[in-house]
Amino acid sequence: MANIIPVDEFITDEWYPGFKPEYGHSAWCTEPINTFKKEDEKRFWFLDFHWPKGLSPMGITFLEDGYSWSTQAAAQGLPLPPGKGIVQRLGGTHVYASEVPVTSEWEMGFRGARIGKNLPPFLQNFPDIWKDRVWELDMGLEYFENYDSSGKSLQELGQYLIDARTFHKRAWEIHFEMMYPLLANYLGFYGVCGELNIDPGEISKFLQGYDTKILECDRGLWKLTDKAKNTGITDIFESNDAENLKAALDGDSRASAWMSDFNTFLENYGYRTEGISDINLAPWIEDPTSPLGTIKTFLMKEESHDFEAASKASVEEREAAIEAARSKLTTEEQEKFDGALGSCQHANFAWWNDEHNYYIDLRATIPMRMACLALGDALDFDQNDDTLYLFWPEMMEVMNGSKTVSEFTHLIKDRRDYYDHWEAKRPTMPKVLGFIPEEVADPIMIEIFGMHHHFFNAMKAEGQDVQTLTGVAASKGTVTGKARVLHNAGELHKIKPGEILVCEATSPNWTPAFGKIAACVCDGGGTLTHASIISREYRIPCVVGVGLATTVINTGDEIEVDGTKGVVTVFKNQ
Amino acid sequence: MNTSENRFIVWVDDLDDNAISIAGSKVARLGELRKMGIKVPDGFVVTTDAFYMFMKSNDLEKQISQKVQLITDENDLDQVEIISEKIRHLIEVSEIPNDLCDAIKNSYQELSFKCSDINLPTAVRSSATGEDSADSSFAGQFDTYLGVTGRQRLIESVRKCWASLFTSRALSYRLKNNLSHENSPMAVGILQLVHARVSGVAFSIHPVTGSKDRMVIEGNWGWGEAVVQGVVTPDHIEVGKTDMRLLEHQIADKQIVSAFDYAEGMVIERKMPKLFREAPILTEEEITTICKTVRDIEDKYNYPVDVEWVVDKNRREGDPITIVQTRPETVHSNEENESASNKWDPVAYATKYAFKG
Repeated sequence: MANIIPVDEFITDEWYPGFKPEYGHSAWCTEPINTFKKEDEKRFWFLDFHWPKGLSPMGITFLEDGYSWSTQAAAQGLPLPPGKGIVQRLGGTHVYASEVPVTSEWEMGFRGARIGKNLPPFLQNFPDIWKDRVWELDMGLEYFENYDSSGKSLQELGQYLIDARTFHKRAWEIHFEMMYPLLANYLGFYGVCGELNIDPGEISKFLQGYDTKILECDRGLWKLTDKAKNTGITDIFESNDAENLKAALDGDSRASAWMSDFNTFLENYGYRTEGISDINLAPWIEDPTSPLGTIKTFLMKEESHDFEAASKASVEEREAAIEAARSKLTTEEQEKFDGALGSCQHANFAWWNDEHNYYIDLRATIPMRMACLALGDALDFDQNDDTLYLFWPEMMEVMNGSKTVSEFTHLIKDRRDYYDHWEAKRPTMPKVLGFIPEEVADPIMIEIFGMHHHFFNAMKAEGQDVQTLTGVAASKGTVTGKARVLHNAGELHKIKPGEILVCEATSPNWTPAFGKIAACVCDGGGTLTHASIISREYRIPCVVGVGLATTVINTGDEIEVDGTKGVVTVFKNQ
Repeated sequence: MNTSENRFIVWVDDLDDNAISIAGSKVARLGELRKMGIKVPDGFVVTTDAFYMFMKSNDLEKQISQKVQLITDENDLDQVEIISEKIRHLIEVSEIPNDLCDAIKNSYQELSFKCSDINLPTAVRSSATGEDSADSSFAGQFDTYLGVTGRQRLIESVRKCWASLFTSRALSYRLKNNLSHENSPMAVGILQLVHARVSGVAFSIHPVTGSKDRMVIEGNWGWGEAVVQGVVTPDHIEVGKTDMRLLEHQIADKQIVSAFDYAEGMVIERKMPKLFREAPILTEEEITTICKTVRDIEDKYNYPVDVEWVVDKNRREGDPITIVQTRPETVHSNEENESASNKWDPVAYATKYAFKG
């Protein structure tokens, strides 16, 4: 593959049929999102794995507020020495992202000096800072999730949407305000461990075993599983697919007490989507197929999950790993290791990386969805989610009466087709566009998205007959088996036990699949991405950040995954 | 220094603090260690004066410099090698003057008597004056002969050590650095061969990372040559300098051993017997004794050192180990270790690893 991948096929002024943004239609920090222009070819763009279906017009608001604005504001505030955050381009409805580098040597030094002042107090005060941010988030969530839209005027609902966007933006500002410095500290600790010759596979163990809100939710699902067993309604779960479970349970009087418990659970934990910040995804409270499906999966397992034992084992494993590592260090080295470990346990990125999903990634977009659906009903759109196919300025025009709903009827149909068209194109979208560099500087892009040298080597090797792919060794062990290439979570049911999952990336709703697969290979990701963490938990080999896994590997191919070395070998099917 | 009787021979016991110019650095340091109370082998040195005398009596200096002048390009290793061979041959066929020859033979007899062995095996070690000092690339390139017995063999070994001053590597090094051949004389140590159960090297700092709080031992059964020359994968041991805690102990599959061949009367390399191959060579007590000795040497010199150590066949728990060589560690000792501070500094490490600063 050439070092420059042309952007021509994506060059357009239109974000969606019938929408060209006006300058400044949305606030931006250092650089706004846009569609591709020819000059974008000089920069490096990668296909972001978070939104495999693409984003709807209202969903693009997230790119403006949550992704561009919030990464850039956080990178400027900390500040991040080498980068000013992340910016996006639309390839159809799909998201390509790039860093906004700092190019001035002086500015880099200036920023370096400033972060030198800002980082230590942040780390020291992290528990209090995060507590304050959670207080803020809770305050907003409580208001929006309890908002009763019935009987509200259009104007009130419009304000509800505007406020929901304000809250959403703030939530994502908090997200990156926390993430950059926590990640920086984690990477420093990772570096110290490297200098001290500590096995990188052990590092995540040092930080595990701390309870999170996500675990608390899992525990709730297991309690409901036990209750379903005790109530004797297992047969309903056995004889119905996840999609039909709600109707079946509602229609069976034996399940009414259980459903009441389930609904209480949803009140507490149901403001949660299956993917990250996508307004088109229905939360559990709106569509409980996912949690009911998970309970169904749990019920099919022989044994109940003993949470107390698992969390005790996790803590014991952590303490044993720390002791084993320390025993190989000199007293001087121990002093440094203890300092670094203490700092990272106090401001624990691994813990926060799970915890914050509960408040932000899986939740903070839901108020905007609720407001949009309420407006869809109130404004008599054909379907209440038609509003998701309006851009923000259009929505404002409808609300202030300068445009009517009927003016958008055809456009909304076109845009739904456009969305479907691009969703179908996802598997063949180029993984990267523009100029392929040797490396990038933004730590989130490197560690969370997996843009390291393996990734770039893979990109440069595309088109050659690649048989060996390298990536980040994320979970140890070696396994050979048949590949199952999946492009989104909707295909999860296709996986057969013992197959090797090959995908762009995974998110929390993929977790149940890890009980079936023999190994996992992802295009993107680093040691702390979802697939890496879950693979270690399930003790299966995992290699992430491979770059071209979903392009090079086909379903049915025999492949070997070496999660210890970070190598995937492809033995072709024929 | 007691040189009044015979300036060609000096005993290790008699070396004073400024002995390098007559005894070469290797043997001079053994004298220093002995004064520190560290166990080193008995023996004597054939001094640089003896070397000069040998050169002069055979008119070698002139002949050598004529040959050296034939080298037109010191980077042309083939060319240097041809000249090197000629010079070494010249030295090896030159007569050692009778009185020097007698002095060496008599001293050998005296050493044998001291050690109560009528046919004492010795270690004949080159001890150059420039060796190991400023530049580590010089270290270890001159000849050493282990297990040399009998007067005639001893004389031959001394001559070979002298000749090794003119290996192609040494020649081209001196040419490149504009060092004169006349001002780099060679002394030769003749030392009682310690009968080794196990031997090896040890470093007072980590030789690869430069970490100053971590000591490293590498060793093998028998004599240390197989370890020094790198023909065997030795056992690898790391120890914390402050608390002498064992941090790492890798038992290697040791396939070659340097053993004493009684028929040949010298140390040779041979296959390691099966039972020894994967057996650990050192006990914890031996490890601690070696490390404490090396730490003492570092403390006395006040700079990092590496040593060659031997555990004597007859050593019992509590006995000292023998040091047969020591020299300054030259790779890392001068660098100010950037992570020398033991304190965790989140900004420094984030800059280094998160921002690639």
